[in-house]
Amino acid sequence: MNAIDRLRGQLCAGTHRRPLRVLCGSGQLGYGIPEKALQAGFEREPHFVGCDMGSIDPGPYYLGSGEMATSVDVTRRDLELVLLGSRRANIPLLIGTAGTAGSDLHLERVVQLVRNIAKAHDLHFNLAQIPADIAAEVVVEAIEGQRVRPLGHMPELTRDDALACKAIVGQMGVEPFQRALEEGADVIIAGRACDTAIFSAIPLMLGYAVGPSVHMAKIIECSSLCCVPGGGDAIMGTIEGETFILECMNPERIVTPMSAAAHSLYEEADPYVIHEPDGVVMLNDVRFEDLDGRCVRGSGAKWDASPVHTIKLEGAAYEGERVLLLAAAADPNVISSLDEILHALQERVAVTIGSANTVGYRLWFRKYGFDGVVDWPDQPKVSPREVFILGECVAATSQIASMVLGVAKQNLLHYGFEGRTTTAGNVAFPITPPEVKAGAAYRFRVFHVMDAPDMKALFPVIHEKL
Amino acid sequence: MKLTQLTKVLRRKNAGPSTLTLDLMFIDEPAYRMGTSSGTLSAAAIAGVYGIDPGGVRVVHFPEALAIKVSMARRVIAGSPGDRDVYGSQQHGPLLGIEL
Repeated sequence: MNAIDRLRGQLCAGTHRRPLRVLCGSGQLGYGIPEKALQAGFEREPHFVGCDMGSIDPGPYYLGSGEMATSVDVTRRDLELVLLGSRRANIPLLIGTAGTAGSDLHLERVVQLVRNIAKAHDLHFNLAQIPADIAAEVVVEAIEGQRVRPLGHMPELTRDDALACKAIVGQMGVEPFQRALEEGADVIIAGRACDTAIFSAIPLMLGYAVGPSVHMAKIIECSSLCCVPGGGDAIMGTIEGETFILECMNPERIVTPMSAAAHSLYEEADPYVIHEPDGVVMLNDVRFEDLDGRCVRGSGAKWDASPVHTIKLEGAAYEGERVLLLAAAADPNVISSLDEILHALQERVAVTIGSANTVGYRLWFRKYGFDGVVDWPDQPKVSPREVFILGECVAATSQIASMVLGVAKQNLLHYGFEGRTTTAGNVAFPITPPEVKAGAAYRFRVFHVMDAPDMKALFPVIHEKL
Repeated sequence: MKLTQLTKVLRRKNAGPSTLTLDLMFIDEPAYRMGTSSGTLSAAAIAGVYGIDPGGVRVVHFPEALAIKVSMARRVIAGSPGDRDVYGSQQHGPLLGIEL
C-alpha cells in the first residue's frame, strides 16, 4: 500500500480527521541536527517527517555555482538520521530545497547521498525527486506574455536578466509533493520549494483545515526557532480540527503564546499574510493559548484561495571573478585621511591600468570602524583606534582583479597625504600576499513572481525504486 | 528613554534579497504603547535615521507580539558585489541611539 493511502486509512474516517502529528526534523538540514530531540520526536510516532534544507538567505553564490553551503559530511549525517528514523517507522519523509538553493545541481548531489545511505543500510523504498529549475526560455516567454512581476523592491524583469542567469529555480507549492505521494513516494527530495509546502502538502491532501495547516507549517519549518529559548531542535506540530498544537522535542525549550505569535514576524515584510502559490493565509484573527506551560494551541488562520496560481522565481547571474585585499591601519593621521586616500587610490588605479569601464572592473573599499557594516548617514563621534580596510574587486578574470588590487595595494601603502608621518607604509597587511582570490561572484537578477497555470509541466516528479 | 531600554529584541534580517526587515520587540505593554505612539518610530523618522526616501519604508504594528515591524528597500541586492551584509542582520545599528 502507498504511504499516503496508509495515512488515509489511519487518520481519515468519512469527514472525521484524527489528530495528525507532523515532525519537523530540521529547519536547515546539513548544519547538524540535534539527535536527542529528533529521536524523542520519532518516539512520539509522527505520521510523517519534514525537513527544510535551504534558503535564499546565504546569497546568490550557491544558486549560481551549484555548491552547497553545508559540508558534505554533516549533510550525509543529517540525511542518515532522518532517513533511518522515517524508514524504521515506515512514514513519509519530505525534504524541500535540497542542497541550499534547490537547483538541479543541488538536487542531484542530495539524491546521490540518499542513494548511498540507502545502499549502506540496505534500505528499500520509493524515492521521488522533484526538480525545480525553470528554463530561461520559459521565463522569457512569461515576460513577453506579461506574466512576471517583481517581488519586494526588485526592478521589472527583462529578457537579458533571465538569459544571464546560471540557474533559475521556481518555488514549488504543495501540488508536486502531493502528486509524488499519490504516485507512491515514500521519500521525496524536492528542489526549491516553499518551506510551508513540505509540512502542509500531506495535511491538505488528507483534508485537514487549510488555514491552520499552512499556519502551523510556517511556524514549524524553522524547527524550534519559535521557542524560548529559540534553537534548532525537532518540533512537533499536531493538527486537531481547526487548531494545531506546537511542542518542542527538547524539554528545555518551551513555546509560549507570545513566542509563537512573534514567529510570524520572522523574515516577512508583512506579519499578517503568508503567500502561497495558490492563495494566501490571513493571520489577523490568529489566537494562541497556553496548554501546560510548554505547548500552545493556535487557531484562527484563514485561507483565501487565489484563482491565479503563481510561483516565486529566483535566478543568479555570474558577475565575474572576485579578489579581496586585506589591510588595516592604526595611525591616527592615516585614519583621519582615509577617505581622501581611498578616493585618490581609485584614481591612481584608473590612471595606471585604465578606467573601470574600459578595463571592465569594479572596485569597492569598506572601512571597518567607519562604514564597513552599515552605510551610516553620519560619521562616528569618536575616531576609531584601528580600522580594517577590505578591498573588493570583481572583474572578468581573477588576473585583472588581482592586477587592480596589486596597484591599489602599493598606492595604499605609500600614498602621500597632507600631514603624513607614515612614510614607510600607511597600512598593516595582516597576511602575505594580502590579495585573496575569492572565486566567482554572482548576483540575484531574478526574484520575481510568475503566473504558473501548469505545475505539472514546471515540476515533474521522477520516481526511482531503491 | 532609549529604544534599547524598551525592547528585548532588536533584529534586522532580509525578507527576500531586496528587502530588509526590522523587528522591534518591546519588553512589555507600556513600552510597546510608548513605541507605537512615539513619532520617532514613524516611517518618515526611520527614513531620516537611515538617510533614505520615506516612500520606501513601511511600518506595521503587531500587538500580538508587542512588536513593530519596519521594512525597507536594500540599497544593494543581498550578496551582490559591493554588498556589506548578506543576511542583513547588522543593519539595525542606526536605531540603537534612538530616544523615545
